[in-house]
Amino acid sequence: MSGLLLAASFALPLLLAVTALWPPMRRHLLAALPAAPLPALAAALLAPGGSLMLAPDPLRLTLALDEPGAMLLGGSALLWCAAGAYAAYYLAASTRRTAFAVWWLLTMAGSLGLCLVADMTSFYLFFTVASLAAYGLVAHEATPAAGRASLVYMGLALLGEAFLLLAFVMLAIGAPGIGNPAIAEAVAHLAASPFRDAILVLLVLGFGLKMGLVPLHVWMPLAHPVAPMPASAVLSGIIVKAGVIGLIRFLPFGGEIEGWGVALVGLGLFTAFYAVAIGLTQPHPKVVLAYSTVSQMGVVAAVAGAGLASGSEATPVLAAFYALHHMLVKGALFLGVGVTGKAGGRSTGPILAVMTVMALSLAGLPFTSGALAKYAVKDLFGDGAAALAATLSATGSTLLMLHFLRRLATLVPADADAEARPPAGLLLPFLAMAGASFLVVGLLLPATGASYAAAFAPEALWKAFWPMLLGGALALLLHRFAPRSPAIPPGDLIVLAERGWPAMLRLADRLERADETLRRWPVAGALLLLLLLGLGAAMQLSAGFHIPRG
Amino acid sequence: MTVSLLPVWAVLTPVLGLCALLLCERWMRPERVAAPFVGLSLYLSLSMTYEVMTSQAPLVYALGGWLPPLGLTLRADGVGVLLMALTALVMTGVAICAWTPPGDATARSRFSFWALLLALWSALNLAFTAQDLFNFFVALEMLSFAAVALVALDGTRGALIAALRYLLFALAGSILYLLGVGLIYGRYAVLDLAGLREIAQPDTVTLAALALMTAGLMAKTALFPLHLWLPPAHAGAPAPASAVLSALVVKAPFLIILRLWVDLLPLPAAAPQQIMAGLGAAAILVCSVIALRQQRLKLMIAYSTLAQVGYLFLMFPLMPGPAPWQDIGWTGGLLQLASHGFAKAAMFLAAGLIYEALGHDRVAELGGLARRQPVTLAAFAIAGLSLMGLPPSGGFIAKLLLLTAAVETGAWWIAAVILAGGILAAFYVFRALGHALADGDPPMAPVALYRQGAVLALALCALALGFVPLRPFALLAIGRPLEALEAMP
Amino acid sequence: MSTTLFGLTGAALVGIGLFGLIVHPTALRKLLAFNLVGAGVFLVFGVLARRAAAAGLAGDPVPQAIVITGIVVAFAATALAATLLARLSGPEEEP
Repeated sequence: MSGLLLAASFALPLLLAVTALWPPMRRHLLAALPAAPLPALAAALLAPGGSLMLAPDPLRLTLALDEPGAMLLGGSALLWCAAGAYAAYYLAASTRRTAFAVWWLLTMAGSLGLCLVADMTSFYLFFTVASLAAYGLVAHEATPAAGRASLVYMGLALLGEAFLLLAFVMLAIGAPGIGNPAIAEAVAHLAASPFRDAILVLLVLGFGLKMGLVPLHVWMPLAHPVAPMPASAVLSGIIVKAGVIGLIRFLPFGGEIEGWGVALVGLGLFTAFYAVAIGLTQPHPKVVLAYSTVSQMGVVAAVAGAGLASGSEATPVLAAFYALHHMLVKGALFLGVGVTGKAGGRSTGPILAVMTVMALSLAGLPFTSGALAKYAVKDLFGDGAAALAATLSATGSTLLMLHFLRRLATLVPADADAEARPPAGLLLPFLAMAGASFLVVGLLLPATGASYAAAFAPEALWKAFWPMLLGGALALLLHRFAPRSPAIPPGDLIVLAERGWPAMLRLADRLERADETLRRWPVAGALLLLLLLGLGAAMQLSAGFHIPRG
Repeated sequence: MTVSLLPVWAVLTPVLGLCALLLCERWMRPERVAAPFVGLSLYLSLSMTYEVMTSQAPLVYALGGWLPPLGLTLRADGVGVLLMALTALVMTGVAICAWTPPGDATARSRFSFWALLLALWSALNLAFTAQDLFNFFVALEMLSFAAVALVALDGTRGALIAALRYLLFALAGSILYLLGVGLIYGRYAVLDLAGLREIAQPDTVTLAALALMTAGLMAKTALFPLHLWLPPAHAGAPAPASAVLSALVVKAPFLIILRLWVDLLPLPAAAPQQIMAGLGAAAILVCSVIALRQQRLKLMIAYSTLAQVGYLFLMFPLMPGPAPWQDIGWTGGLLQLASHGFAKAAMFLAAGLIYEALGHDRVAELGGLARRQPVTLAAFAIAGLSLMGLPPSGGFIAKLLLLTAAVETGAWWIAAVILAGGILAAFYVFRALGHALADGDPPMAPVALYRQGAVLALALCALALGFVPLRPFALLAIGRPLEALEAMP
Repeated sequence: MSTTLFGLTGAALVGIGLFGLIVHPTALRKLLAFNLVGAGVFLVFGVLARRAAAAGLAGDPVPQAIVITGIVVAFAATALAATLLARLSGPEEEP
C-alpha cells in the first residue's frame, strides 16, 4: 500500500500531463494543478520507510522514502499545492495556460519523484525531467528577456546533466555488479574508487549548478524574475532543492574525506556572502529574492560540507531540514510578491507584516522556522572560523532581506482605493504557505535530534538574534552613508560570459561555410580517396608489414 | 545453429509483393495490394526474432543445398534479427503513415512508392542476413537503386539533382567496395565470412582490401566528411521515404563495416579504430551545430542523422576485448543504431505530417502546432528525447553504455564528445519544440488521427528500448563468433 | 606475363576513372568515368579468374560470375543515372 502511494506521487502528475493530448480535458487542466501533488503529500505523511521495486533485477528501478526524502517530499508537495492553486487563478486568462500546465505537471513529477528514488538511473531520470521541464516554466512569458533567461537556463541545465551523467557512469563502474546500482551501494564504494576526486568534482559541479553555487548561479537571477509568479515560487523553492537532494544522496557522509568537506564549506560560505553583496545592488524584488536563494543554498552546501568534514551521519536530515525551511519560506515570499502587487488600502499593512516576518525568517528571526533551521545545523560547524562565518551569514541575510522589504514596498499600488484587497485565489495560498512554514518546520524539529526546550532557551534565542541586530545596524549605516550602489546587471558573471557569444556565432558561421566546402563534389571525392589512403596506411602501420604466405 | 527457411522467405516476401503490385497495377490501389505483404513480412521478421531469442542460435539456410565456398548462405544472427525487427516495425509504421498518399500525388508515383518500399525491404533483409562479401555488394546495390528512386519520386528538379548526386557518390563507394572484394578473392579464393575468418591474415593485400571496402561503405553511410549527398537527398524525398532512408538505409552499410571489422578480420584496437571514432566525433560536433542553424525542419533532421551516424562509429575503439560482442561498447553501438532508427523514422514522419498540415516546414513558423496536432508533436518530442540521449529512452541507454565503455577504456575524448553531442542535440530539438509550442493559429489541413498514432507508436518504440537492462545484451551476441556451415542436415 | 599486363591495365583504368569521377564537373562525364572504373575492376576480376588457370583449371568460375553480376549492376546503375539525367535535361548542372 505504501509502495503504491510512492508510485502515485509522480504517476498522478504524469498522467494528468498526458491527458493534455485529449482536447476535452485540456480546458480543466489548469484547475487540476492543486490536486496533482496530493498523493505525494499523503505519501510523505503515511509512507516514510516504505519502498517499492518498480522493476526487478537487472533494471532495479527502486523507490524508497527515507527521513530526509520524506521531509523534502512533503514540503515540495505542500508548495506545489499552494503554488498550483495560485497558478490556477493567476494564469486563468493566459492563452498558453495548457502548455504551462503541462510543463508544470512534468516538472512536478520530476521533482517529487526525485525525493523517493533509490537507484541511479531513476535518479538521473527524475533529475532530468525536473530540470528540463522547468525550461517551459522559465520560457512561458515568451518575452525577449524570458527567451534569454530560458536559453541560459537550458544551456547550464544541460551542462549540469552532462557532468552528472559522467559522474554517475564513473560511480557505477566502481559499484558491485553490473547495470543499475542502488545509490547507497554505489556511494559506499566511492571512497575506494580510482576516480574518486573526479567524481566528487563532477557531482559538486552538477548539483552546485542546480543549487546556484558561485560561479554557476548565473541562471537564477535571470530565470526567477521572468517566470510567472507561481513558477518563480517553485523554481526557487523546489527546483533548486534538486541539487540539495543530490548532495544528500551522493556525498559519502561518514567517510574519510575531510579535505573535500572543507572545500565545500568554503565554496558554500563564499556563495552565501557573494550573493548578499550582489543582491544588495539589485532594485527588482524578485531578483533580490533570487540572490537570497543563491545565498541560502550556499549555506546548505556549507552544511553538507561541514557534515562531510566531520563525518556526521546526521547530515542528510539536517541539510534536508534546512532546505525544507527555505522551501516553504521562499515559496511564501515569491507568492507574496504577487500578492503585494495587488494590495492596497487597509490590506497593505497586514500583508507587509506577514512578508516582513517571512523575510526575516530567512535571517533566523527567533520563533520562526529560520531560527529552528539555523539552530539545528549549528553544531555541525563546530566552533572554528566556519562557525563564525555561518553565524555571520545571518547578518548578511538580514541586510539583504531589509533591502528586499524596502524594494517590496515600492510594488504596492499607490492609487488603490481603501477597499482594495488582493483576490482570495492569490491571498489564501500565500497565507497557507506562510502558516505552513511555522507549523511544519516546528513539528519536525525533534526529527533533527534537537529539543524544543533547548531551541527556545534564552541563550539560543540570543544567539539567533545578535547577528540580526548587527545586520540591522549595518543596514542603517549603509542606508545613511553608503554611496549609490553600483549598477550590476542581474546574473552578474553571465554578462561577462555573454561577451563570448558573438565569437560562438562566428564559429558556427565558419563551421557552416566549412560544411558547404566539404559538400562540394571534388572536395568530397578527394576526401574519400584521402580517407581510403589514410585508413589503409594506419592499418598497415599498426598491424606491421606481412608478406602473404604462399 | 538452426536450419530454417525463414531468412529466405524474409527476403522473398517483399519481392513477391512487388510482383503482385506489377500484376495488379491496373485494377487495385497499390497500398491495398502491398498491405498483406507488409503484414506478412512483419510477421516473418518478428517470428525470426522470436525464434533466435528462444533457441539462442542463429537461423541458417544454404541456398539450394550448396555450401560455401561455392554456395550462398543466409544467416540471421542476433544482430541480424534485431535489425530485421527494426526494419519491419519502421516499415509498418511508414506504411500506415503513407496510407493516404501525401498531397496531390498521382497514381503513378503512389504505385512507385509502394513498389520501391517493398524492394527496399527485400534489399535490407538481404543485407542483414547475407554472409558473403559479394552478396553484401548485391544487397547494397539493390538498396541504393531503390533509395535513389525514392529520392527522385517527387520529380522536382531539386529532387532529381539530389538523387543523381546520391547515386553517383554511392556508385563511387560501391566500386571501391567491389575492388576490395576482388583483392580478397584474389588473396584467399573465398568470399564467405565464416570461411575467411579462419584463414584471413593481417597482411598488406588483406588490409588494403579492408581499407577499400571500409572507405566505400563509409561513403554509403554518409560518415562525415563524405556526407555531401545526404542532406539534399533525405530532406528532398517525400517524408515517408526520408523516414526509411534515414532510419534504415544508412544502417545497412554500417552493419557491413561492423561485420568486416568484427567477423572478417578482428584487429587489435589501434590507430584505424581511432580514425573511425575521430570521424564519428567530428560528425557529431560539426553536424549538430549545423543542424542547430537549419531553417527547415527536414534539413535539421537530416543533419541530425549525420550526427547520429557519428555515434555509431564511436563504438570501434570501445570494444577492445578478444570477443567484442561481449563488450558494452558493442551493445551500446547497436542499441544506438536501433533507437536512432525508431526515433528518426518517427521524427521524419512527424515532420511530414507537419508539412502536410501547414504546407511548409520552416522551423520559425511552427507556432500553434501544439494546440492543433498534439499527438504529432508528442511523437516529435519523444523521438527528440531519444536523440538527445535523455532518459527514459533507447538513446539514453545507448549513450550510457558507450560512455561507460569510453570511461573504462580511458578514452576520455570520446566521453567528452558523447556528452557534448547530447547537449547540442538538446538545443536543436528544443529549438524546434519551442517554436511549435509558441502561439499562433495558422490555417491547417486536417491529418487523420491514425497516421499521427502510427508516428507516436514508432516514437514509443524508441522509448521502450530505454528499458533494456544496462549490460551486454545477450541477443546481440547470438551467433558469434562465426562458425562455418559444415553440412546441410 | 599477360595477366600482369591485364592487371596493370585494370589499375590504370581504375585510376583514370577515379580521377574523372572526382574532377569532371558534369554528371554525364562522371557517369562515364564510373563506367571506366567499373571496367578496370572487372578486368582485375578477369585476371583473378585467369590466375586459377595456372593451377591447372580452365578458369575460376566464381570471378566470372561476379563480373557478370557486376556488369549487370553497372548497367542498371548507368541506366538509372541516364534516366535521371534525361529527366533533368535542361542546362547541365553540377549534381
